[in-house]
Amino acid sequence: MSTESKVADSVEDTIIIKDLNKWYGDFHVLKDINLTVKKGEKIVICGPSGSGKSTTIRCINRLEEFQRGSLIVNGVEMVEDVKNIEAIRREVGMVFQHFNLFPHLTILENLTLGPIWVQKKPKAEAEEIAMKYLERVKIPEQADKFPGQLSGGQQQRVAIARSLCMSPQIMLFDEPTSALDPEMIKEVLDVMVELADEGMTMLCVTHEMGFAKKVADRVIFMDAGEIVEQNTPEELFNNPQTDRLQLFLSQILDH
Amino acid sequence: MANTFKSDPIEFKPAEAKPAPDSTVGIVAWMRGNLFSSIPNAAFTILIMLGLANVIPDIIDWMFISSTWSGANQDACVGDGACWVFVKAWSQQFFYGSYTTDQIWRVNLSLILLFVVIVMSFTLPASYRLKVSVPLFLVLPFLCIAILDGRLVGLEHVNTDFWGGFSLNVLMAAAAIIVAFPFSFLWALGRRSDMPLARSISVVFIEFFRGVPVLALFFMGSVMLPLFFAEGTNVDKLVRVWIVLIFFMSGYMAEVFRGGFQAIPSGQYEAADSIGLGYWQKTLLIILPQVIKVSMPNILATFVMLFKNTVFLLIIGIPEVLQTLLTALSNSNWLGGHAIEGYVFVGVIFWLCCFGMSMLASNIEKKLDTSHRN
Ligand SMILES: Nc1ncnc2c1ncn2[C@@H]1O[C@H](COP(=O)(O)OP(=O)(O)O)[C@@H](O)[C@H]1O
Ligand SMILES: [Mg+2]
Repeated sequence: MSTESKVADSVEDTIIIKDLNKWYGDFHVLKDINLTVKKGEKIVICGPSGSGKSTTIRCINRLEEFQRGSLIVNGVEMVEDVKNIEAIRREVGMVFQHFNLFPHLTILENLTLGPIWVQKKPKAEAEEIAMKYLERVKIPEQADKFPGQLSGGQQQRVAIARSLCMSPQIMLFDEPTSALDPEMIKEVLDVMVELADEGMTMLCVTHEMGFAKKVADRVIFMDAGEIVEQNTPEELFNNPQTDRLQLFLSQILDH
Repeated sequence: MANTFKSDPIEFKPAEAKPAPDSTVGIVAWMRGNLFSSIPNAAFTILIMLGLANVIPDIIDWMFISSTWSGANQDACVGDGACWVFVKAWSQQFFYGSYTTDQIWRVNLSLILLFVVIVMSFTLPASYRLKVSVPLFLVLPFLCIAILDGRLVGLEHVNTDFWGGFSLNVLMAAAAIIVAFPFSFLWALGRRSDMPLARSISVVFIEFFRGVPVLALFFMGSVMLPLFFAEGTNVDKLVRVWIVLIFFMSGYMAEVFRGGFQAIPSGQYEAADSIGLGYWQKTLLIILPQVIKVSMPNILATFVMLFKNTVFLLIIGIPEVLQTLLTALSNSNWLGGHAIEGYVFVGVIFWLCCFGMSMLASNIEKKLDTSHRN
C-alpha cells in the first residue's frame, strides 16, 4: 500500500471516507460509513447516544483504528504508518467534551506545547501565536492561570484555541458543549460560529439545533452505527424521512 | 429580557452563616463520637486507658525522672532510670559513623542539600517546579557522593569504610530512591506497553525485586554482584548495596507509578495525540508530571519503607546506625547494659523521620484531593 497515494477525487474534497467499518471485538460499531467533506464545509452530526458519532470523528484523526474501508484526509490516506498518522494529526484539530486541558500546565503552556514540540517553533513565536488565539476566544487575561482555575466555558474556549494554534485545516468537535452549565454554552458556540464564518472545515457532533441551523451546510443523522439521513439543516429537521429520525427529533425537542 | 421587569427588583441578601451546634464540634463531641459511640466501644476505651495509666508513669519515670543526663562515661550511670550519658557519649558515632571528625561538616552539607532540594520541590512556584527540581534531584546523589568522598572536589579523601551512622541511612535511602526514579518509570511503562517482550521483561523484573526479601538481596549484592564486574575491579561495598537498593526500590516504585498511570484519564492521552505529540513527548511532557503528582503520597510511603530497610545493611557489615549501636554496646568501656537506651534512641529518631514523612504525605494527599479536580 502506498503511503501518500493521491486518491482525492478533486482538490475540493478534504475528507473522503469510503465503506468504513469498525468493530469493538464482536460489536459492529460503524457500518459502511461513506462521507465526503469539501473544503470549508461545516457538518453537524447528531444521533442518539451510542450511535457511533464519536467513533466516526475519532477515526478521522486516528484516535480510533478501523478494520475495513478507506479514509483520506487532505489527500493522505490513513494507513498503519506512524509518520502518516502524525502528518494527519497535524492537519486536524480536535475539541473534546471534557476539554482535556493539561492540568499541570498553564493556559499559555497548554497552547504553546504543540507549536514548540510538534512544529518546532521558537518559544517566543509560539507564545505570540498563543496570545493571538487566546484573544480570539476572548480570554487573554487568563494566560498564566491553570486550567483548574477556569470555568468550564473558559476551559473549552482554551481547548479550541489550543487546537487552532496548530493551524489545522480541519476541526473536529465532539459534543463541545454537553459538559457545560447552560449559561456557558453560548460563549463556546459563539467562538465556534465565528470560526465557521472564517471558512474552517468543521465536523461537529452536537445536539445544539440552533447552532446546526446557523452554520451547518449539512446535518448527518446517525443511528446504530450507520448514517441514516443527511441533508441541509432545514430539510433534515423539518422534513425527516425516516421514523428513526422522527423519533430522535421528537425526543430532543421534548425538553 | 431585562425590560420585562417594570418595578424595582427586591434586593437579595444571602442569609448569614451560623456556627455549627456545639454537640457536633469540640473535644467532647469528638470523644463521644469516636471513643464512646457504643457500649463495647466505651468498655474498650476504658480498658485501654487503665492499661495506659499503668505503664505510662513507669515509662516517664524511667526516661525522664530517674534517668541520668550528665556525665562523660559509664561511671556516671548510677540512677535507676535510663542512662542517656551512653547515647550522648556515642552520639557522633551514631550520626556520622567514623567519618573524620574535622570533616563532618561535609556530611552536614550533604544532608542540608538534600533537605533544601526536598523543600524546593514542594515550595517552588508550580509553573517551573518540575523543571527545576527534577534535574536538581538527579544530580544530588552524585554531588553528595563527590562531597563525601572528597577527591573530585579537591577535599581530603574520606574512604567509604569510614562513612556510617544515621546520616548514612538517610543518604543511602535518598540516593537509592532518586536513581530508582527513572528506572521505575521505565519499568512501569514497560509493564503497560503493547510490546509482549518489553512487558514480560518488566513483569519479571518488578515481581522479582518485590518478591525477594531485601535481606536476601543484600547478600546477593555483596556476594553475587562482584561476579558481574570485570575481574580485578574492586567495586566499593557501598556502591554494591546502593545498586541493590536501587533495584529493590525500582521494583516497588514501578508499581506505585503503575497506579499513578491508571489515575490519568484517557482524555489526556487523546488530547496529546490530537495535537500530534509523539510517544515520548506525550509520556514525558503530559503523562509523567501528572503521574508524579498523583503518586507523591505513595512515593513517600515507599520511601519510608526503604528508609527503615536500610538498617538491614548491618547484616553485611555496613556501619549504619544500628550496626554502630551494636559496636557501642560491645565496647569494653560501656558494658553496663545500655541496650534499651540505645534501641529507644534509634527507634525514636527513625520514628520521628518516618512520622514526619507520613504527615507530609497525608498533607499532600489532602491538597491533591482539593486541587486535582477540574
Ligand atoms: N473502547 C470501547 N470498547 C467497546 N465498545 C465501545 C468502546 N467505545 C465505544 N464503544 C461502544 O461503541 C458505541 C458507539 O460509541 P460512540 O461512538 O461513543 O457513540 P456516540 O458518540 O454516538 O454516543 C457505543 O455503543 C459504545 O458503547
Ligand atoms: Mg460521543
